[in-house]
Amino acid sequence: MQQGNEIKLEKHDGVILFDVIGDVTAASEPSFAQAYSEANDRDAEKILLQFKESTYINSGGISVLIQLLAQSNRKGQAIGITGISNHFRKIFTMVGITKFARIYDTREQALEDMSGGQGRPSG
Amino acid sequence: MDFPTCYLLQGLSEEKLKRFAAITHETVMSKEQWIYHENDRAERVFILKTGIVELVTLVDSYLELPVSIIRSPGDCFGTSSLIEPHLYSLSARCQEDGTVLAVDRYDLRKLMDEDREIGCVIMTNLAEHLLSRLKETRQELKLHFKNLLKFMHS
Repeated sequence: MQQGNEIKLEKHDGVILFDVIGDVTAASEPSFAQAYSEANDRDAEKILLQFKESTYINSGGISVLIQLLAQSNRKGQAIGITGISNHFRKIFTMVGITKFARIYDTREQALEDMSGGQGRPSG
Repeated sequence: MDFPTCYLLQGLSEEKLKRFAAITHETVMSKEQWIYHENDRAERVFILKTGIVELVTLVDSYLELPVSIIRSPGDCFGTSSLIEPHLYSLSARCQEDGTVLAVDRYDLRKLMDEDREIGCVIMTNLAEHLLSRLKETRQELKLHFKNLLKFMHS
């Protein structure tokens, strides 16, 4: 049975980090909506989604992420993604997620880059 | 009895589990190995013992959409083999070396015909599981429509 996620929010130099625990599926929608709403309450301009290497993201989860990317794109917010496996890096590229979010190898690299005013995909 | 728990078998007595165990065959799988492909004839149902298996569907010639991950011992997959028209609805690929218990559908059918209680329990558990999957799929469909509506009105 699919379950929602625990998403812990942390602020790092103007970047709101979503520490996502658990697999991402259609059942994750309320957790992401809640986290995004809280991030907006903190006037988020940059959001970093941090997953675990073992996180599984299925087709429903991809849809949840696309929803978040569409909302953030409309608000002009930059989105970064880190922690995903190479498998999902390939899938995110194929489905077009990388047109709206930059993928980083490490959290440190992401925070450094995004804090420095980056975070938007170059493509 | 050294036998992983499996939703299909929930509610079966130890004696019935032994009968089921007698028709299983342990099979080793290696990383990247395809266990079956979508639309293949579904001849076997599988129960994970160790390792990880990913279920995917091919959306386009280049895009495999991830559907589910099987990583808890006792998780079942390949249950299309229990239902007509006996065609796998997804593809299964091993993501991490491991072992599965494979059950030939003809052996299982024979067992369920011989022991109707086993048949009733397994098919009831399967129906409950499929109903749960149907709910998840509907939830996912709603998400896709929401995204589509936002796109259409943006």
